[in-house]
Amino acid sequence: MHCDECNELLSSFMDSDLAEVQAAAVRQHLAVCDPCAKVCEELAAIIDLCKSQPPNELVPPNPDALWCRINNIIESEVKPEPLPLPAQARRRLWRFTLPQLASAVLCIALISSLLTVIGIRNYFRPPTDDVSSGTGESQSLLEKLMSKVGLADTPQKARERRLAQQQAAIEYWDRRVSERKAQWNAVMQEKFDKNLNIINESVNDYTRILQQDPNDEITGEMLDSAMDEKMQLLREFAEL
Amino acid sequence: MHLSDPFIASRAVRKTTILLLTSVVFFMLFACAASGQRRFSKTYPAGDGVRLDLVNRTGTVTVEGWNRREINISAVLEAPAALIDPQDLSGRILIDVVKDNAGRGDVGNVNFYIRVPYNAMVDIETRIGNLKVTSIRSALVRAHVSAEGDIELTNIMSTGVSAENVSGDIFFDGEIQAGGYYRFTSMQGTINLRIPFPSNFKLMATAPSTRSINLGYFSGGNMRAVGDGRRIVGQAGDGNANIQITNQRGTIAFIRR
Repeated sequence: MHCDECNELLSSFMDSDLAEVQAAAVRQHLAVCDPCAKVCEELAAIIDLCKSQPPNELVPPNPDALWCRINNIIESEVKPEPLPLPAQARRRLWRFTLPQLASAVLCIALISSLLTVIGIRNYFRPPTDDVSSGTGESQSLLEKLMSKVGLADTPQKARERRLAQQQAAIEYWDRRVSERKAQWNAVMQEKFDKNLNIINESVNDYTRILQQDPNDEITGEMLDSAMDEKMQLLREFAEL
Repeated sequence: MHLSDPFIASRAVRKTTILLLTSVVFFMLFACAASGQRRFSKTYPAGDGVRLDLVNRTGTVTVEGWNRREINISAVLEAPAALIDPQDLSGRILIDVVKDNAGRGDVGNVNFYIRVPYNAMVDIETRIGNLKVTSIRSALVRAHVSAEGDIELTNIMSTGVSAENVSGDIFFDGEIQAGGYYRFTSMQGTINLRIPFPSNFKLMATAPSTRSINLGYFSGGNMRAVGDGRRIVGQAGDGNANIQITNQRGTIAFIRR
């Protein structure tokens, strides 16, 4: 008999459950094999110990109750599922009034239309550096729409605002020029006045035309350009 | 002493000559001092992509392209002479007569004659006076007169050209380069462009007061008038350059080169 075979049969041998032939074979092996004999002695000692102790210290008093406690602990560590919302609250989330629904549909329709129009315009519009497109029809459809609904300035209002800004800058530089002009020689004074008058004449002409036809975009552009020229002239002469 | 003596005669001639020459030199020096003119001249080495920036107060500025890798600045300064302090800012020559003479009320004209490499960028301006630029083939030619003065740009093959004055004539003679941008602006005067036919460009020309826009060989085709003839927009050839001309109280004309 080998040691493995002996170890397998050892427990049954201790309980006297083996047939006599097998028990004899185990006995023979234990007689010649020290390690197996030692295992047999240890096993016998454990059996003796168990037999000598009262049974209530080794066996749980109430195994069913113990397993019940263990189950409770395990279940208490698992996250509880969220409680379902009350039916009324669930209904409130998805319930809209008719005006709300109509507004939402209208908004979606409006936004998609605008995006389509902008996309089409951008597709057909030449690049921004294309000077030939600058025929005065510079305001985009979106800008026109915005100005119609009051979200953006109309061209006239935008022009007025820009003119006011330019006028303020012109007044500032004009004061600066006035401080220095007396120091210039006669030729410079004369040339400056002459050229300022040329610009002023143009500004007056354009202002008059715009009073008659506020939608004349070319005149609007020219007025803007003339005001810029005036501002630049004053600024550059203020440095002298 | 007899003048018939050849030795004495030659001495007399020599004395007279010396006296005459001395008088001439003295007179010239006196004339120069009386006119108050001074001269300025300086040369700078120039590498590729060099740029000339000049801001003048009054006087004529002439810039000419040449086949040398250097910038030569000559100036005639009228009395009361202006201060000139050109600065070499690594690849950029800057002359700012306005800044150098700030606060000096009366300063005389400064007439510049500057030679730059053909491929130099040129950015010149003056408050009053004429500007001339010749034979430049760089990315930039800018000429700006703050008030009154003619601008003459000849033999220009640059991709960026800008000429601007309040009153005075503007003349451009050159080639329109592919992808180039050309801007000419005046309040009063004439703007004439002399360019080869055919040339390729997109155009926006505006002459709101005179409505006189003569496109010459470039008329018809893809050009159209807008705003009752105050503006002409359109395209010549494949239109790969942009020309923008505004003459508020003057005329615009295209001439075949």
